[in-house]
Amino acid sequence: MSCTLGEVKNRADLIIYWGGNPAECHPRHFTKYSLMPKGKFVPNGRKDRTMVLVDIRETPSVKAADLFLQVRPGKDFEVVTALRALIKNQRVDKDRLVETGLTFEQLQDFAGILKKARFGVLFFGMGLSMTRGKHMNSASVLTLVAELNAFTKFVAMPMRGHGNVTGSDMVIRWTTGYPFGVNLCRGYPRFNPGEFSTVDLLLRGDNDAALILGADPGATMPQPAIDHLARIPTIVLDPKVTHTSQLARVHITTAATGISAPGTAYRMDEVPLPLRPPLKSPYPTDEEIVRRIRQAVQGKPPWLPNSNGKRRLV
Amino acid sequence: MELNVVKNATCTFCGCVCDDIELHANHERIVKTKRACILGEAWFKHHTAERLYPDALIDGKPASVDEAIEKAAEFLYRADMPLVYGLSNVTCETQREAVHLAEIIGGVIDSHTSL
Repeated sequence: MSCTLGEVKNRADLIIYWGGNPAECHPRHFTKYSLMPKGKFVPNGRKDRTMVLVDIRETPSVKAADLFLQVRPGKDFEVVTALRALIKNQRVDKDRLVETGLTFEQLQDFAGILKKARFGVLFFGMGLSMTRGKHMNSASVLTLVAELNAFTKFVAMPMRGHGNVTGSDMVIRWTTGYPFGVNLCRGYPRFNPGEFSTVDLLLRGDNDAALILGADPGATMPQPAIDHLARIPTIVLDPKVTHTSQLARVHITTAATGISAPGTAYRMDEVPLPLRPPLKSPYPTDEEIVRRIRQAVQGKPPWLPNSNGKRRLV
Repeated sequence: MELNVVKNATCTFCGCVCDDIELHANHERIVKTKRACILGEAWFKHHTAERLYPDALIDGKPASVDEAIEKAAEFLYRADMPLVYGLSNVTCETQREAVHLAEIIGGVIDSHTSL
């Protein structure tokens, strides 16, 4: 259950940020989309909204919050589970809440705030989705939000980090049916995170070549995954010579997205926006290079996957 | 010098994708931004249209784009399980091309979402 940021601006009277620090990571999120703007059903802007921040430590975002709940690291799932029980007036063992870092009273108070909202929105960040519990944490807040719709209108939205990562989910979804980690080895799409997700593939050493574009895994991934990229022929497309380029066999310099390369990017609420690049790059765009690589591959003899997983020329 | 002013430019630094940025650019760099946040301003001013890097590198040595494309195509064609990864800082049009390429080379396509 989600909505656009325009609906948040016009309707949301309760804003929750969970495991994120928008003041530093998405600096205009408060002022442009969520907290400050005056909207149709929240005519007084900030005065009509309540903001709750849930995080493991005090960040600069705390200053913007009406209520800050400090969860003990790795205990988000337990907090969400307790909240799900409390909103339905189910019994919660007070002694077992101690490990979450929050008291029964704090959680009951929070559950009351959730139910009292006219239109609530829960933005969740990587502090929730990338820590202990990972996708189970995301699933639990989505369930909490779904259940809150028995009482009021409530939506959830992930705080996406990189520029067009939402776009890659959208494009891979409408072309293959799945959002990410899609294996086309057998000629049809298969989806299984944990098996076909990049870090797992690289840690197992499954890939025997890699094309990296719009990312610099050499600076962000676990070292054994980077080591595997250095062992296999890796190709990098990037406006700069990156960490990954330095361990790659091939690097091609491309124009910078949105600055000297035109196209479309998706905002975190899945609204597509056109790019308006002000500069003209001396380098080709990523789009052109990928298309030319594809055409070069298509010029070679076609093959089919064999039963042993190897290729067979037709 | 006359500056090229772009109104309502779109910033792709973070997931907010603000589309109300005003950019003032000369022929090689963005000199002024309006309404961009501190991260967006750094992003826009950091990328220029200068030729700072070689067109392409093969095994660390400068090469032409044509050679690099041929080499890349050869590596991906020969691989049994190639990986196409990243896609976060490229356009949707590029992502669509990348899916097509991944299908033809029989590979895995993945983004930052899986991290």
